[in-house]
Amino acid sequence: MGHPYLYEDRIVMLITMFLMGSTLMYNVRYAQMGGEFYLRPIPGLKAVEEAVGRSTEMGRPILYVPGIQDMDQVETVAGVIVLGHVAKMTARYETSLNVPVSRSIVMKAAREACRESYMIEGRPDMFNEDMVHYLTDDQFAYAAGVNGIMVREKPAACMYMGKFYAESLILAETGNSIGAIQIAGTASQAQIPFFVTACDYTLIGEEFFAASAYLSKKPELIGGVRGQDMIKAAVIATIIFSIIIMTLYDNTGIGFDVSQLLTIR
Amino acid sequence: MIWKRQIPILIVTIVGWTTLLGWFIDQPDIQEFVNDDATQWFDILASFAIILGALNLIKLQVQKILYQKPGWIYSVVAVMGFLFAITAGFFVKGVDDSVAQWGAHVTTDGTLFKWMFDYMFSPMSATMFSLLAFFVASASYRAFRIRNFEATLLLVSGIIIMVGRVPIGSVISSWFVMYLIVLSAGIYINVWKKDMNTTFVFVAVGISIVTIAGFMYGWPIDKPGIFYLPAIQEWIYYYPNVAGARSIMIGIGLGIFATSIRYILGIERSYIGE
Amino acid sequence: MSKIQDTFLKIGSIDRRWIFLIIAAVVIVPLIFPVGLPIRPTDTTKNVYDSIEKLPAGSNVLLSVEYSPSTRPENHPMTISILRHLFKNNHKVFITCLWPDGQFMAQDAINQVAKQEFNKTYGVDYVFLGFRPGNEAVVKGIVSNLRKLYTVDVYQKKIDEIPLMNGINNFKDFDFLFSSSAGFPGTIEWVQYASDPTGIPMASGVTSIQVNEVMPYVQAGQMVGVLAGMPGAAEYEALIDQKGSATSGMDAQSVAHLVIVLFIILGNVSFFIERNRSKKY
Repeated sequence: MGHPYLYEDRIVMLITMFLMGSTLMYNVRYAQMGGEFYLRPIPGLKAVEEAVGRSTEMGRPILYVPGIQDMDQVETVAGVIVLGHVAKMTARYETSLNVPVSRSIVMKAAREACRESYMIEGRPDMFNEDMVHYLTDDQFAYAAGVNGIMVREKPAACMYMGKFYAESLILAETGNSIGAIQIAGTASQAQIPFFVTACDYTLIGEEFFAASAYLSKKPELIGGVRGQDMIKAAVIATIIFSIIIMTLYDNTGIGFDVSQLLTIR
Repeated sequence: MIWKRQIPILIVTIVGWTTLLGWFIDQPDIQEFVNDDATQWFDILASFAIILGALNLIKLQVQKILYQKPGWIYSVVAVMGFLFAITAGFFVKGVDDSVAQWGAHVTTDGTLFKWMFDYMFSPMSATMFSLLAFFVASASYRAFRIRNFEATLLLVSGIIIMVGRVPIGSVISSWFVMYLIVLSAGIYINVWKKDMNTTFVFVAVGISIVTIAGFMYGWPIDKPGIFYLPAIQEWIYYYPNVAGARSIMIGIGLGIFATSIRYILGIERSYIGE
Repeated sequence: MSKIQDTFLKIGSIDRRWIFLIIAAVVIVPLIFPVGLPIRPTDTTKNVYDSIEKLPAGSNVLLSVEYSPSTRPENHPMTISILRHLFKNNHKVFITCLWPDGQFMAQDAINQVAKQEFNKTYGVDYVFLGFRPGNEAVVKGIVSNLRKLYTVDVYQKKIDEIPLMNGINNFKDFDFLFSSSAGFPGTIEWVQYASDPTGIPMASGVTSIQVNEVMPYVQAGQMVGVLAGMPGAAEYEALIDQKGSATSGMDAQSVAHLVIVLFIILGNVSFFIERNRSKKY
């Protein structure tokens, strides 16, 4: 378009981004104005409240691990958000909550989330800053520390919500060995199989990002989940359409090279 | 109240939109902010925040020692380790300035820090990672059960990948795999038909066909390729596996986009406790 | 028959500590008494080898080391083999690290290959730039202005005083990138922010777990190839005809995999017997 400050070859991405954002906003507004959407039940999220109840009955704490990365990762922020919801339940049921973290900024954010949750539930007396505590930045030293907490304190429920790497199976197997109910949620593709194998419930990828909407039941968040699904349907349609166009173009020359249009540099 | 609510949301909105739109804008100052400054600000914040984490760690561990809570011995080890690392990193180099300057001393042989890294940190780190070997075995043993079609598919492809990926898979002849398939099919026929004669005929015919084909082609170890484990595992890696990985990546990417847009637009405010 | 079934049922509910003991034994024994199984390079490994082999002599190659001692058995042999290949072909090697632990790993590799084996000269044949904090910001910094990011090397020597750094200002001044990576930041960040936008070819060596994440980039042509875990490292050692720790580890890995498969089969046999008995009753 010849604009001096715009990367012309990224125009398609800019337009796509605005279309996607508009779809999300439309669904958010629709939900805020009273529109109702159906969300399929996710067993892992239903199990969160059961896990908290189980811990209360057994008189044992809940262990919550918000991943091993910092707040610059979206998964960690999503993990802290789910922690806020879990903290509300632990405040309501008067169950102790243990949140060992691997990053200092995550410690501060998680503390604030827990503090707010306990205040909203009217139990600020139950909140203790040390329930969210820092262990270490190092991946396997953190795994060793969390394993030690699991083996010594024997929590009744272990929740792993965030970004994980190789330590995921170490944590999950140790949690399995102490007989805890385990719920995991991550978008770390390589770790999903380990959590699926070793945990009772696993939130895979987008289910984890949608957890906040499920647990809070806020209309704007639920509208966002529906918007996400609509965008995914559009992406699938684009893929199918592009396959047909490219096949035609490669074999007969009819059409255009759609990969040039869709490639982002 | 404004400090805890509106100002954090304003910061997230401004910085988020600048970073997002900065990718489309060809202006040097914005590009420098997006590519260098923004992430370096975060790193500087994170570096100072480590002090908070370290103080919290020391506070909890010292409390455990002072009040002799259960497991306080481990806290002594934690505090000693912390102090030793600080000493080796900042106070005691172990060599002259001519051998290594402060800063370079962390990787120079002969320094206390390098000794700590080589003889304490590395073995402990490797030990924790090596636990995965045992845990993978026990998790696979416990979890891989043929409960339904999908579980069977997972099991079979897992076995093919595990055996085909390592050198021992390349010495297993494709003819051996064909014999195994014939025998497995025979077991299935027996369970289905519950007739020994049918099973016997099926297995006999299958084994005969494979044997005759083997003699005809000279028993090459890697042909036919469709039954050669390394070839099958490569195909599984390149096609079904990549397709599945891509679909999960796209889903996760959309999830990250939707979540990030919610933060930037101020719809999601749970990260500040709202 | 009933006794056999009971035995299988016992195996099916075995204490996991017996499994740990058996795995330990099958890993240790082949390390002490190697079998010497043949290594067959896969296409992805061959592509990495061919890409480096085709580089003109004296090419500038950026080697990025991002792994810690925990994944040393998988990543370190790759780094060693790649360094050997690069020095054998007289390429100029620039070493950087996105992980702080990577600096130690890189130093060990340099000591072994550059100093002891090839007797290469620092500043002429290779430069060790070291670690800088910032994750993907470091990658972006190298792409835009390397000299702003690295004013001194790991030995605190000014970059401007190192002869090999003449003419090296950003990522486009390199001819090839190899990333030996075990997680974040690593291969994916190099693809997204450096190799794909600039068109500089890259390959990577990753842990076995990461291969799933990285394979789409290989298939899309954004990476020339990948060394997949310790098997990939062993294949590369076979291609450069210099065996190392990865090759000796493959016997142990092979036997361990077979034993795990055996456990899975035994577990399923026990599962079926239990299911049939419960159907009967």
